[in-house]
Amino acid sequence: MIQKTTFIYKPGEHETEKASNSYLMSLIAFIVGLPLPIINLLATFFFYISNRKGTYFVRWHCTQALLSQFSMLFVNSFGFWWTVSIIFYSETITNHYIAYMITAIIFNLSEFIATIYTAIQTRKGIHVQWWFYGSLTHLICKP
Amino acid sequence: MKKIIFQGLLLIVLFFSTWFVLQQINWVTILRIKQTTEKTEEKLDELLWETIKTTEDENTNQLVLKSVDSLITKICNYNDIERSKIKFNVINKNEINAFAMPNGRLVIYSGLITASEKQEELAGVLCHEIAHIQLNHVMKKLIKEIGLSTLISITTGTKGSELIKETAKVLSSTSFDRGLEKEADIKAVEYLTKAEINPEHFAHFLYKINESESEIMKYLTWISTHPDSKKRAEYIIDHSKNNKVKNVPVLKDETWNKLKELVENQ
Repeated sequence: MIQKTTFIYKPGEHETEKASNSYLMSLIAFIVGLPLPIINLLATFFFYISNRKGTYFVRWHCTQALLSQFSMLFVNSFGFWWTVSIIFYSETITNHYIAYMITAIIFNLSEFIATIYTAIQTRKGIHVQWWFYGSLTHLICKP
Repeated sequence: MKKIIFQGLLLIVLFFSTWFVLQQINWVTILRIKQTTEKTEEKLDELLWETIKTTEDENTNQLVLKSVDSLITKICNYNDIERSKIKFNVINKNEINAFAMPNGRLVIYSGLITASEKQEELAGVLCHEIAHIQLNHVMKKLIKEIGLSTLISITTGTKGSELIKETAKVLSSTSFDRGLEKEADIKAVEYLTKAEINPEHFAHFLYKINESESEIMKYLTWISTHPDSKKRAEYIIDHSKNNKVKNVPVLKDETWNKLKELVENQ
């Protein structure tokens, strides 16, 4: 799922810090905006915008962080609105709902762990490429 | 590009298969969700009914109770509703009202029986209220109006009797959301049809009290808490027009007349 590869050049100290921050940004926003799934996507998006003219290493990792957040938005939004409809409307707690929420938690937790790991590795200047998101980032983010 | 699509699809498949596998576990039983909900409803019903009983005059006439029971039993039997889950009480009051409470309790005002020309009209209102119970609308309404934390504090005994009275008032004199009312109406048509009671009588009842004179409006609580009764009558007719319903009365004419006479004199 997570692959350590060598980047096309060796990133400098300031680059590794910024790239690592893109993951930290999504982590902090994840904790702050837990009930509203769009918060962490927005935070990562603004970080991406502010760094879109940064070096290739920084841009690459900002893009990977943004893409991973984007897919989690769908998972979390669905779970969020399902919960709202249970609390305020006529939906009831079913096995489907609980199973969905557990699945969403598993995926969020995996993403959370992967994000922490990537933030640490990127800070050390190690290029970490995620399953699917890494390949997608390569397609979008060009040197 | 193919590799990306493959990886993306694999992630989606992984997500849905995890969800599917987890669905096979009966979480509702494991986490005792049903039991907890039922216990809360039971306690709420107990407290609310105690409050209503002390302020209102309960009708205990056996013929009144048996007649209403026959109507409810037929509706339940023909619709696979567990009869023991539906309890009911009749209150001597001129208001044309009936409302559902937590834990499957129906409260029927004698004014509603008086205002019903035919037993099918009363059956229509009963079906509507049973639908609210079966569709879990009662607890939803209470959670929305009172709040989940307040409801729990009522059941644990940390809130006073004023709040219990207020909760009882919410149930008896405020309406459900428009969407929930429509859902209950449509379900009521289904119940009536299956129970061989023509839903047109229910629609007629709504039309009739909608056009009632303004001076008696003060007694029409059920209508004032169920807005747009004319519109409701229209979609009840609309939903039932394709079903040819054989109307089989539950009560004999003399029983129905006796029931009306008894509640009118009390």
